[in-house]
Amino acid sequence: MPSAAAAQTGPYDIHLLSTPSAPQSAGEARLQFASSPFGIAVAADGRAIYDVRITASGLPSPSTVGAYSAFVAWAVTTDLKEWVRLGSVTNGTNVVGSLQMNKFLLVITAEASASVAMHAGPTMLHGTSPSGWLQSFLTHPLFRGISQ
Amino acid sequence: MLRAASHAAALAMMAAAITTAQAQTKPRADSAAKRAAKDSVAARGMQGMMPGMEMGPAKKPGPGPRTRPATSAMPNMAMPVPMPAGMPMMPGLVGLRPAGSTFLPGAGVSVATLPAAKPRQLVTLGDGDTLDLTAMLVRRTIRGRAFAMYGFNGQVPGPLIRVPQNATIIVRFHNRIDLPSTVHWHGVRLENRNDGVPGLTQEAVAIGGTFVYRVHFPDAGVYWYHPHVREDIEQAMGLFGNMLVDSPDRDYYSPVNEEQVLMLDDLLVNGDTLIRFGREGPDFALMGRVGNVMLVNAEPRYSARVNRGAVVRFYLTNVSSSRTFNLSFGGAPMKVVASDVSRFEREERVPSVVLAPAERYIVEARFDKPGRYALVNAVQAINHFAGEFSSQLDTLGTITVRATPATPDYARQFTTLRENAAVSRDIASYRASFDRAPDKTLNLTVKTTGLPLATVQFMSIDTAYFAPVEWVDGMPDMNWLSTSEQVTWILRDAATGKENMDIDWHVAQGSMVKLRIFNDPTSFHPMQHPIHLHGQRMLVIARDGVATKNLVWKDTALIPVGSTVDVLIDASNPGAWMLHCHIAEHLGAGMMAVMHVDPAGRGAPVKGR
Repeated sequence: MPSAAAAQTGPYDIHLLSTPSAPQSAGEARLQFASSPFGIAVAADGRAIYDVRITASGLPSPSTVGAYSAFVAWAVTTDLKEWVRLGSVTNGTNVVGSLQMNKFLLVITAEASASVAMHAGPTMLHGTSPSGWLQSFLTHPLFRGISQ
Repeated sequence: MLRAASHAAALAMMAAAITTAQAQTKPRADSAAKRAAKDSVAARGMQGMMPGMEMGPAKKPGPGPRTRPATSAMPNMAMPVPMPAGMPMMPGLVGLRPAGSTFLPGAGVSVATLPAAKPRQLVTLGDGDTLDLTAMLVRRTIRGRAFAMYGFNGQVPGPLIRVPQNATIIVRFHNRIDLPSTVHWHGVRLENRNDGVPGLTQEAVAIGGTFVYRVHFPDAGVYWYHPHVREDIEQAMGLFGNMLVDSPDRDYYSPVNEEQVLMLDDLLVNGDTLIRFGREGPDFALMGRVGNVMLVNAEPRYSARVNRGAVVRFYLTNVSSSRTFNLSFGGAPMKVVASDVSRFEREERVPSVVLAPAERYIVEARFDKPGRYALVNAVQAINHFAGEFSSQLDTLGTITVRATPATPDYARQFTTLRENAAVSRDIASYRASFDRAPDKTLNLTVKTTGLPLATVQFMSIDTAYFAPVEWVDGMPDMNWLSTSEQVTWILRDAATGKENMDIDWHVAQGSMVKLRIFNDPTSFHPMQHPIHLHGQRMLVIARDGVATKNLVWKDTALIPVGSTVDVLIDASNPGAWMLHCHIAEHLGAGMMAVMHVDPAGRGAPVKGR
């Protein structure tokens, strides 16, 4: 069983997958509660506030994949409606700010500059928040025949 | 480890108590359930009635004939536990009910004949004063429906005891309820024999009995008292009260216009009916009993009136069995000042207050505009059926702000975030121990046996994602059907593999114990645990490897699912002290251990200061 000693993996880690744009790249993101006097950080509406730390490797120079100068991390709602810019990412460990979302995708794109407000470039790495495992039981036999 | 004579006597007393209570209670319809209940009582000596007593032998989980599954003896019985909107009961659970018999206070007593519960009254005591505190049956009317419940001195919450720091008071406790009981003085670093743990520091006080406590208050702040016998029943039914301990330093806190002392609670009802309790041990053993009626100071609607610009100091205590609150005051700016056993090193602005069971926080809020401010609990619920999060907001009360300006105007003092140098100085000598290896490690997990198949199937998939904190009971049907016979919550010593009351730690008085607590996310039902240590104070020094930036002395620390939390215990108070989860049903399902603080340093393995 896991133990406290195995702290090199966090309880809310996100494995980042590479794309054809950067097949040699890899990464992990760690969600850690932001500093709070209560031990866990939540907003007034109850959403958890996480600091996001991204560790990336194998990212090429941005210019090698097009007219880009930086890689930028985004948190994206699962319906893709809301994109929240987290911060720029380089190879190594990057603390890219805090986040208040329940379920989200984590996307790292190549962009024209590190300060862009909207995503426009290709995706380099992507992952899903652990809460993405939370799926509907609508068709599970446990609920078959039950309508909402 | 336990005093055998005391243990045996208490068992006998409990058996007598339950026999009486059973005779007064309408039996269940199915004879199998009655037989099972009788067997259970005989075999287990009121398992779970006295958490401090029911250690080890009676609580050895595992497959075997002793564990009774949920019964389907009454397949057409209506589901007594209300389900959340849009959440059907699982077909595989329909018609089941928890194993064992049930209990409600005041069986055989006409509710109308009971004295109406009174609001809490302030009792100001000085050093050497004596208070008579009587646990008794009362009639509480909630949303127009009268229930037989409990109160101290006829009050719910119990009397608000206000004392100066370093005072010692005498409390003559009289047990006039229909269960054995004790009083635990939560967070108070008092003499061990007054700690109120049956089987460990005293025998349970029998029905009709009396016990005299000598309570010394070495620390300023807000504390609370409650029974340490079947908290899932006695505390949930109204046996709780606060203690305010005033520092001699008149500038200990910033000046405020008003003080409010709030005890946050919830109650589980279905329509006009209280949901009955497991008699032999807690039901709702997976998550604890999460109520659907929010209560502030035992009332469903809290209200206060203040003048415009008033700064109000709120003393907040979570007395619920299981619920973690996230409180805010309608957008009023707020700062957190103190917690369980001390002030923070630094006051901080906060958007809300996260309050796990048994925790206390002292916050100050300023209401600068006339109108109404709602006291709300706002959380993210999980709809396990749809696999979605949803915002859930409950209004617990209202603060009405008059147009009249508050005098004096404390806006400037409120804006200032104080640095409490005295707290930092107090902590300074402990810092050298922050970075050393842990002296002890506890892993938190759970074992289950005999749960309904549908529950097992569902949990195996649902726990692929574990929320760090479960704010609501998203599956009350599964939770209700789980009892302390089927569920054992576990504190496991990583070094020895010993669990719960088999853990027998000895540390030297005056030492600092670095304890690492890991809440295993891979268990059958991972859940947060508010871990409470009696009689000492502790610092939460790191969470998941990140050092705490603003320290405060605590007696209860919330351990989210998957987290590793390091605490440093100031083992200064000799005696045998409980360490346990303060979710009442988890405690009743075994999640407790004892740490001995030895004056002579017997076997003390930890480093001194």
